[in-house]
Amino acid sequence: MAAVTLTNVVKRFGIFEVVHGANIDIADGEFVVFVGPSGCGKSTLLRMIAGLEDISGGDIAIGGKVMNDVEPADRGIAMVFQSYALYPHMTVEQNLSFGLRMNGNPKADTERRVRKAAEILRIDELMQRRPKQLSGGQRQRVAIGRAIVREPQVFLFDEPLSNLDAELRVQMRVEISRLHKELGVTMIYVTHDQTEAMTLADRIVVLKAGNVEQIGAPLDLYDDPANRFVAGFIGSPKMNFLSAKVVDTSNSAAIIELAHHGGARLRKPLCETFPAIGAEVVLGVRPEHFFEAGEGDCDIPVKADVAEHLGSVSYVYANAGPEELIVEREASRQRASGDHFKVSIKAERALLFDKAGARIR
Amino acid sequence: MRTQNATAYRFLTPYLLIFAIFWIWPIISSFIISFQATRTVPWRFAPAFNWGRLIGDPAFYNALKNTLLILVIQVPVMIALAIVMAVLLNSPLLKARGLYRFAFFAPVVVGEVAYSAVFRLMFSLDFGIVNKLLNSVGISKIDWFSNVTPAMALIMIAVTWRWAGYNAIIILAGLQSIPEDVYEAATLDRVSRVKQFFHITLPLLKPVIVFCAVLSIIGTMQLFTEPFLITERGGPGGGTETLGLLLYRQGFRSLNFGYASAVAYTMAGLAIAITLVQLWLMREPK
Ligand SMILES: Nc1ncnc2c1ncn2[C@@H]1O[C@H](COP(=O)(O)OP(=O)(O)OP(=O)(O)O)[C@@H](O)[C@H]1O
Ligand SMILES: [Mg+2]
Repeated sequence: MAAVTLTNVVKRFGIFEVVHGANIDIADGEFVVFVGPSGCGKSTLLRMIAGLEDISGGDIAIGGKVMNDVEPADRGIAMVFQSYALYPHMTVEQNLSFGLRMNGNPKADTERRVRKAAEILRIDELMQRRPKQLSGGQRQRVAIGRAIVREPQVFLFDEPLSNLDAELRVQMRVEISRLHKELGVTMIYVTHDQTEAMTLADRIVVLKAGNVEQIGAPLDLYDDPANRFVAGFIGSPKMNFLSAKVVDTSNSAAIIELAHHGGARLRKPLCETFPAIGAEVVLGVRPEHFFEAGEGDCDIPVKADVAEHLGSVSYVYANAGPEELIVEREASRQRASGDHFKVSIKAERALLFDKAGARIR
Repeated sequence: MRTQNATAYRFLTPYLLIFAIFWIWPIISSFIISFQATRTVPWRFAPAFNWGRLIGDPAFYNALKNTLLILVIQVPVMIALAIVMAVLLNSPLLKARGLYRFAFFAPVVVGEVAYSAVFRLMFSLDFGIVNKLLNSVGISKIDWFSNVTPAMALIMIAVTWRWAGYNAIIILAGLQSIPEDVYEAATLDRVSRVKQFFHITLPLLKPVIVFCAVLSIIGTMQLFTEPFLITERGGPGGGTETLGLLLYRQGFRSLNFGYASAVAYTMAGLAIAITLVQLWLMREPK
């Protein structure tokens, strides 16, 4: 068992800096998910922790020991690759035992570990097959099994489910969650799928272009994002962003006027910073936080464009001037295309961001 | 479907005609000729004439022995060398990879006569650079062309020089098709570079290596250019005569077509047999 600490970790490829001083503390036994758009440096960070990439600056410590110059095999980690990276010419059993066999581990112990991993992942019947003869989900299980056999202190997963179909993904997600509970070890999991991040993580690290944007529990990120990027990235469908302007500040609140909604105004109580009068701001409202007309603090008229019915809820894509809003409605209150209706915004359910994207609280 | 096929075959007809006349017919024809006495006019059917002679012909056994000797020494050495060259070519530490790739492949493109002439010069008794180099490290000079063992070695060196790079390029393609993350997984499994080579690279290269071996076996079975041009028609005294040379001597010098055809079929039969044994030995374990 081990905690993982990243201190000012920098990564450069030649002259390109792709990770700009990441500080991340991961507690022993925690399940942490790195999430962010493609190319933001998630894999690079993970591979630095694994020792597959050199560290250009800063320190990575595992279990309190700085690992910068320690061989990958000596870091007490195991990694599951997106492409599975199974040894194609070996059977499942040989794949699982290869590392131990090559290192002269006692035969009885190797067998015990392989059997245990096969049991945990329910791949006992597949032991004599080769990777070619397995389905995607089975291959992924074997890849995870190979990690378990090493009995590592930290598991690293790099988008392990992205090659699977939607149904299998949900199933494997649950299994990985179960695995974490059973083994109780630290897990670091990279994905660009925010649903995976929300469902698996104890804490999420949101990355953007090599910077850590925010670290926090899934619901904290959802309810209290630090900036517009995190607000937009976490949550599906995405948060709506409405342009607005500050017209007055008084009594620890800002009065803002929405730019494209017929001069609708909202009083947003603030406690930290007060924007200047006339400043352009952005109001963020999640689809489920558009209330029925009159229920909130400010009504805006919209026209339904397309509606997606998912059964329990519907998502109405509604036009309001140049802005398209996504509005969640219960199935019983769904709107047909072309309907004119009003939605209402509650001040406490709306987030305010400045023009640069920083949160105004 | 049927009419579509008919149309396709009509388009293929010109090719199939040429293929039949210049490929299929000579193959059938030479098979028939191998059963005919071709020294009499008109030729007559005499199965024992050529095949019987072959079985008792010391010249045939000499050529067969030389060919197989070259085969069992040269092919494994060359394939091993080609694997080493491919691994070096694939190394990320290597600069100017394109240049080396070209250099390794170049011998295949060089004209046979030119390359043979250069080899004769290099290995010449008194002026050759090879003997000079041997001399400089204290080894007395070797008469490469008048003694059988050095002459055989020379043939093997020449063939290896000419084809090792070609095989290395094929093996390199196989190497590059092995995904990098398999090696990363092995690194995390604490498997050393050397063990990775023997337990991952080699097994995964097996199909490519078998392919190269089969190509080389077929090529060496037909070996002709080097003993003809470098050791002057299988010299010294038939010491480097191969089946290919025997075939040439019988067919084109003595105009004994029947016997030459029998030799040709023996060569082809042996190549097929050796290749099948090879494929069987290297088959995928089930
Ligand atoms: N070997 C390399 N040489 C140069 N640049 C690299 C190298 N590997 C990655 N990069 C760059 O580093 C950045 C981060 O890459 P990384 O693979 O970590 O992204 P990622 O967040 O894992 O993206 P994805 O979700 O697509 O996997 C990218 O801009 C990428 O182009
Ligand atoms: Mg990645």
